Amino acid sequence: MLFDSPAFFLFLIPVVFFYWRMNHRAQNVFLLLASYFFYGWWDWRFLALMIGSTTMDFLIAQKIVPARQNPHRKQWFIFSLVLNFTILGIFKYFDFFAGSFVGMLDNLGLHHIPLPLIHVILPPGISFYTFQEVAYIVDVYKGRIEDSRTFYDYGLFISFFAHLIAGPIQRPGHLLPQTQNERTFDPDRFFDGLMLIFSGLIRKCIVADNCALLVDAVFGGQLGPPNFWVVLLGTYGFAWQVYGDFSGYSDIARGCAQLLGFHFMVNFRQPFLAHRLQDFWRRWHISLSTWLRDYLYIPMGGSRLGTWKTIKNLFLTMVLAGLWHGANWTFVIFGAIHGIVLPIERFFFPAKARAAANSVPAPPTGFFALWAQRILTFNILCLSLAFFRATSLHAAVQFLAGLSNFAWQPEYASAFFLLCLYSVPLFLIDLHLEATDQEYPFANASYAFRTAMAASAFAALALFSGSNLNAFVYFQF
Amino acid sequence: MPSFISNSRHPAVTCAKILFAICAALSICFEFLSDYLLKHHSETYARISQQYADALRVRPAKPGEPMSVLMVGNSLLLDGIDVDRLQKLTSSQLDIHPIFLEATGYYDWLYALRRLFQEGSRPQVVVLGVGVNAFLSNSVRREYAPLMFFDLKDTYNIASDLKMDRTGASNLLLEHSSAFWDTRSVLRMQILKHIVPHCGELFLLLKPQPPVPSEPEFGTIANPRLQQLRRMCEAYGAKLIILVPPTPASEDAVHEMTLASRSAGVETLVPLDPAVLPANYYQADAIHLNSEGAAIFTVALATCLPRQLLGHDAVASRD
Repeated sequence: MLFDSPAFFLFLIPVVFFYWRMNHRAQNVFLLLASYFFYGWWDWRFLALMIGSTTMDFLIAQKIVPARQNPHRKQWFIFSLVLNFTILGIFKYFDFFAGSFVGMLDNLGLHHIPLPLIHVILPPGISFYTFQEVAYIVDVYKGRIEDSRTFYDYGLFISFFAHLIAGPIQRPGHLLPQTQNERTFDPDRFFDGLMLIFSGLIRKCIVADNCALLVDAVFGGQLGPPNFWVVLLGTYGFAWQVYGDFSGYSDIARGCAQLLGFHFMVNFRQPFLAHRLQDFWRRWHISLSTWLRDYLYIPMGGSRLGTWKTIKNLFLTMVLAGLWHGANWTFVIFGAIHGIVLPIERFFFPAKARAAANSVPAPPTGFFALWAQRILTFNILCLSLAFFRATSLHAAVQFLAGLSNFAWQPEYASAFFLLCLYSVPLFLIDLHLEATDQEYPFANASYAFRTAMAASAFAALALFSGSNLNAFVYFQF
Repeated sequence: MPSFISNSRHPAVTCAKILFAICAALSICFEFLSDYLLKHHSETYARISQQYADALRVRPAKPGEPMSVLMVGNSLLLDGIDVDRLQKLTSSQLDIHPIFLEATGYYDWLYALRRLFQEGSRPQVVVLGVGVNAFLSNSVRREYAPLMFFDLKDTYNIASDLKMDRTGASNLLLEHSSAFWDTRSVLRMQILKHIVPHCGELFLLLKPQPPVPSEPEFGTIANPRLQQLRRMCEAYGAKLIILVPPTPASEDAVHEMTLASRSAGVETLVPLDPAVLPANYYQADAIHLNSEGAAIFTVALATCLPRQLLGHDAVASRD
């Protein structure tokens, strides 16, 4: 059930309607069942996997609470981590690593090595819910949170349909108490939730789906062999597509959560206005970047163990972040580009980087310096996104090789016009949000004004939505 | 009392209710408006409605009458055949009833033909010409076709045939039931044409062309489809002919299609060898014939089709 499909709203409206007429315990059971229905809508077979994995972690967590002094708590903790990452590895990475291994042996002259590929379909959202389960296990083990005593609460924390398929990845310390405590209906937050849903739909259906038309044509070769203009169109277009797509999804997810009295963390904060890549990762998919920081980068030593270990930790974290996105070398290179540029930024801006360890680095004060850095950062990002979007390393290199050819075709003008038509309004909205520090446009305006804006958004959605129902890009992760 | 009910007079809740009502009202308005625009201003809808209604009246020819032919296809035939000229050139031998809808393929016509037969159409011959790519593609056109060609049951069967997930299936159902949902991308395109210069040409370029699979995959896909179509047509007393219109670089595909048809017991008609038609007979998209190409193809079809259906002698004696 895609968030932008009519079927989802036929699901959401009755869920919200009945939910607020129940007591807290019934609400949790009802939402858990609704979430299982939502997940099973894709494929009921994967529901068993998710429930099994949730149940295991729920039971293991009770054995690893520090206060209970179980002598085997460390073994249970390691067992849980191994179990979670094995499930993820089998479903997401087994064929990739097995195939790469066979390819490597083939290059070494060892042909026809029999290594079975399992060819399983990737269960939706497996990367997202696995990361949430791991965060829960780690936090319980470290004593940061109490283990959940009720399966309904924990099950809802993992399976809540609003974040289940593509995040934002929720922290147990943030969401679990919300499932455990009674939620009260807050009309303001309910209305904000509606506005976030409209904002998300505009980003996804108008910006992302229409940019996708262009991007698919560029990478499909319909606009001819890659040259400078085609590469520009493809990478810029994809940047706006994936931003509109995922920030749209996150807005809808957050909006749905607010309709039901929950609060999700902000997942995007105008990422294309970042003046450095470090700044970018504090604005883009924040729930993933903070997860990686807290559960991978810092446990590896972070920046506390000297320059070289910091560089190594940054590089490894970013490569794993790339690999998290998908089982393909293109994602590894995407991560590696970020893993190389981030230490370079730290080298060139050491004082600022150190000061920025726990806060967003201060942008340059001059207008031109700021925009020059923003443009440079955006273009480095677009370069890495060429690998993100390409189907293979070879295709990505071939695509980027076109940058040296400047041959112009008349149809490019219409294509760039179309790209601007969809991306510039989102860019202007981002400038407005950056200046006003609001969650969505006109968040501080009167209810009547926002109602009128939402009604206009509904009309715009009806008339300008991309025709194809494209699945959200991050669903494949 | 639940907090939701106790807060029902809060301005935020009131505005949420108003917004809900506005969205519902807009949905109804868009539905009526789309239905009106479709029925009064859409050339495609008018053409297909007329052609569909004509096709429903097709009956087997009585002795001495020209053979009834239902010719269906996509833009390759819409642009590639001068229907009036074809009918004029073949009027003594054939009574041709065309239905040409752009961007349609095998599944569109499988279900459209089935519905036509079920509703009483009885042509002696069905000529299907969608090009090899569209014949092998796993999709249906999401505008016009669900509304005009499929019935409710078909939408479930198509969703199953195309292995759509439940979201895809529910959208297809909605496209069948709602004029707005069916034609919203057409409306969007009409608006964009007024905003973006050369938008039509750009979107022609952006349309993906799925690659034609090579043997043995070609036969694996094509054979069951051809057999299914043949059996359906035979069940209603019609003969099936696969018409392969020319497209550049389709030489191998045409050859493979002919082989697959032969093994499925279906006749193929290739009036023009794509290899002999130079590029200047095609439109800028290098897929569709231009008016000069269409003139050549129409004459070739008018010569080949009666010959294939009636045999050389019969054609000569009728002439």
